[in-house]
Amino acid sequence: MTDEPYRWLEAIGNRREYVREQLKGGSPVLLASRPEGILLMGVARGQGKVFEIHDRHAMAALGHPADIERIRQAAIDATHLEAFTRAPEDVSLRRLVSFGLSAQLKQNFEQLFTAPVLGEFAFAELGATPPEDLLARVHFDGTFALRPGGVLVVGPDADLEAGATRWLHSQLDPSLSWTSVARLLLEAWWMVSTGTPFDGTLPSATEREQGWRAATADARIELGWLNRRSSRTARYEPLDSAALNGSPPLPTPP
Amino acid sequence: MTPPASPLAGDFVGLLERSQLPPLRIDPQATLPVVTQATTVFAFRFCDGVLMAGDRRATAGNVIVTDAVEKVLEIDDSSLLAIAGVPATAFEMARVLQTSFEYYRRSQLQPLSLPARVRALARLLRDNIPMALQGVGMVVPLFAGVDRTPSPPEPRIFFYDPLGAQFQAVHFAASGSGSATIRSILAFQERHGSPRPAEMSLDEAIRFALRLLMTAAEFDSATGGVNPSAAQFATLKILRGTGVESISEERQAAALGTGGPRA
Repeated sequence: MTDEPYRWLEAIGNRREYVREQLKGGSPVLLASRPEGILLMGVARGQGKVFEIHDRHAMAALGHPADIERIRQAAIDATHLEAFTRAPEDVSLRRLVSFGLSAQLKQNFEQLFTAPVLGEFAFAELGATPPEDLLARVHFDGTFALRPGGVLVVGPDADLEAGATRWLHSQLDPSLSWTSVARLLLEAWWMVSTGTPFDGTLPSATEREQGWRAATADARIELGWLNRRSSRTARYEPLDSAALNGSPPLPTPP
Repeated sequence: MTPPASPLAGDFVGLLERSQLPPLRIDPQATLPVVTQATTVFAFRFCDGVLMAGDRRATAGNVIVTDAVEKVLEIDDSSLLAIAGVPATAFEMARVLQTSFEYYRRSQLQPLSLPARVRALARLLRDNIPMALQGVGMVVPLFAGVDRTPSPPEPRIFFYDPLGAQFQAVHFAASGSGSATIRSILAFQERHGSPRPAEMSLDEAIRFALRLLMTAAEFDSATGGVNPSAAQFATLKILRGTGVESISEERQAAALGTGGPRA
């Protein structure tokens, strides 16, 4: 089947369609760089979606739990080997993604007789200041994009991702508390999950709030926080989503 | 590209070996140089947890290499390691433990249990037996870790022999060249003194620890001791069920007050 170039291209195209089809309906994950740190948010019904990777690194993903686990484990192995053999300060998201994960994902995607990775991934690196934060969007075929700070939305639909990113940029003010930011991320999560477009008239704030609350009633909201102000070496802290039940604004994390 | 999976999940030492980066690589043909040694460390229970202390001197033969060594190391927020012996080996062991515990916690999504932590250090000591037998890499550490089995969690003290045997200390443990003096005083205070170490407040425990090091330094030239007038203090760390606290030099000076040795 793959001995002719045309058939190989066709097989790769089919594989891409298959993966995209499998990822439809996946629960989006969202990241936001803030003055106090980086917030990672996902909504899980089974296995987790937001994970600590190393001292200043975390990831969030949508897709098949077994594939998320493979990539999570590969990232943890690579960062801990780097930190041990060189130094924790040498662990860099740019090198992890460009020279490690991207190559592995591409190789896996193009090996037609192996199972493809069913997942889309977001990685975060905490900098000393918000402009030094780095967010990485990594696709199932190994393509990736790095961006300094801001917002990153990972969902099954590229147009909704772009719309959610634009909308969040317009809504996120540096003075907002983390609970207010988490609520906005959940509103964007609900709209991406339900396929609600971000251009034209958006549902009202009340509808958006009711929407995500109803959609997460039987799920677990996962909130990870890379804390810029922490004195600990490991900056990642899980946040309690119960804080979202109160009225905004609530205090920022310690 | 990724090394084959280990049969033991979350095993960082296994990952290093699969990546051909084994820790504590030894040369069985090594000749005996004059090696740097670090002494003296001890730990005892006080009313609020465990205090672990060490002087800051490292020696090589009769040469003082430095008076600024940190011998009590925070492995993570529920483990402390105090090193006595050859710093080159001991610091490498501390680094392996630090990375191993964090690697396990992150990869397995749960912290390593206290018994597994204690055995992880025993395994490193066993791996180091060839160097210890040659007299160039002996390490006799103390370990304190939080046991999360009881409620509330409780810190516990462990000591080792150079071959890796592990023992739990009920009240106190000491290691290094000044340890004989310190163990004698701790045993006396435990049996006849008042307050007993386990009844001491934090300030009393800090003062007691500093005086122990001052006394050990009187009898052992390899122990750096404490000299407030020269701003020379010890490394003191507190392990509670809730985490680790480092005692600053200012706090040590305040706790010692005018309680220095009589002339």
